[in-house]
Amino acid sequence: NMFFVMLVIFPMSIVVCVQLALHVFGDLLDSIIVDVASECHRIARLGLERKLDEEEEELRLSAQARARIADPSNNVEANGKYVVDIFGQTHPPVANEIFDCMNCGRSIMAGRFAPHLEKCMGKGRKARLKATRSSTAAQNRYSRGSPVSTYSPYSSTASINRLSNGNPRVATGECSNGTVEEP
Amino acid sequence: MLKNRRQSVNRPPTPDLTDDQAKVPTLQEVINIKLIESGEKEQLMELVREKLTECGWKDEMETICRAYIKKQGRKNVTLDELVRVITPKGRASIPDSIKAELLQRIRTFLVSAAL
Repeated sequence: NMFFVMLVIFPMSIVVCVQLALHVFGDLLDSIIVDVASECHRIARLGLERKLDEEEEELRLSAQARARIADPSNNVEANGKYVVDIFGQTHPPVANEIFDCMNCGRSIMAGRFAPHLEKCMGKGRKARLKATRSSTAAQNRYSRGSPVSTYSPYSSTASINRLSNGNPRVATGECSNGTVEEP
Repeated sequence: MLKNRRQSVNRPPTPDLTDDQAKVPTLQEVINIKLIESGEKEQLMELVREKLTECGWKDEMETICRAYIKKQGRKNVTLDELVRVITPKGRASIPDSIKAELLQRIRTFLVSAAL
């Protein structure tokens, strides 16, 4: 202990003290560095970091896909109807999943849904013309006093129904239920 | 009985008592023992760990480790490699304020240990 007391008293001791402190600090730091490294090492070796494995898998798959593109046997022309994409999948030219139209309830093929919806909701040119034609036809008939024909594919009954429904709707561009479908 | 005792004992060679140098611990060793015995070393470790985590130093080291592991492939990395990889940057990137605070505390301990 005398040794330490001497250290504190003499000026040279200050240098020694600082050196000692630095040494202690360095030791602490080295221990902490080893701790951090060993934690990372453990996680790596045990494969606990899923993200790393997922990234490696992604790289592998994209390298695979790139190889597949380079392969000429997967070309569009060679295969005709069925095109193979970079994941090796084929898709039919028209989407063939079937579901129910939320407007009229019919079973529609996905690839045919847009044109169906046009007619179904009366937004298409023909549907609008239909509606206009049938309502004007009905007006003409009434004003002329001729009997309403029972047979009419675009029925005036439909337009009568619409008008007599009390719905404040315009005859064109709207359908209440089960609309006319073009054959 | 005596015979058994002689045979069963495997003694290492008796150290040379004339060699004083070997027996005297270095100043650093003495300090280290005092640090551990007083519990100050453990406290200092916790303090440094906490401060280095707060300032993002630990995250920085982990990032370097992960980059190295990704490059080498996770099954090819040894602990020694990782330590070697992060030590230079690790020592250099300690914030000055943290280093100063720690050194101050250690010096205080040294003085108190001397008294």
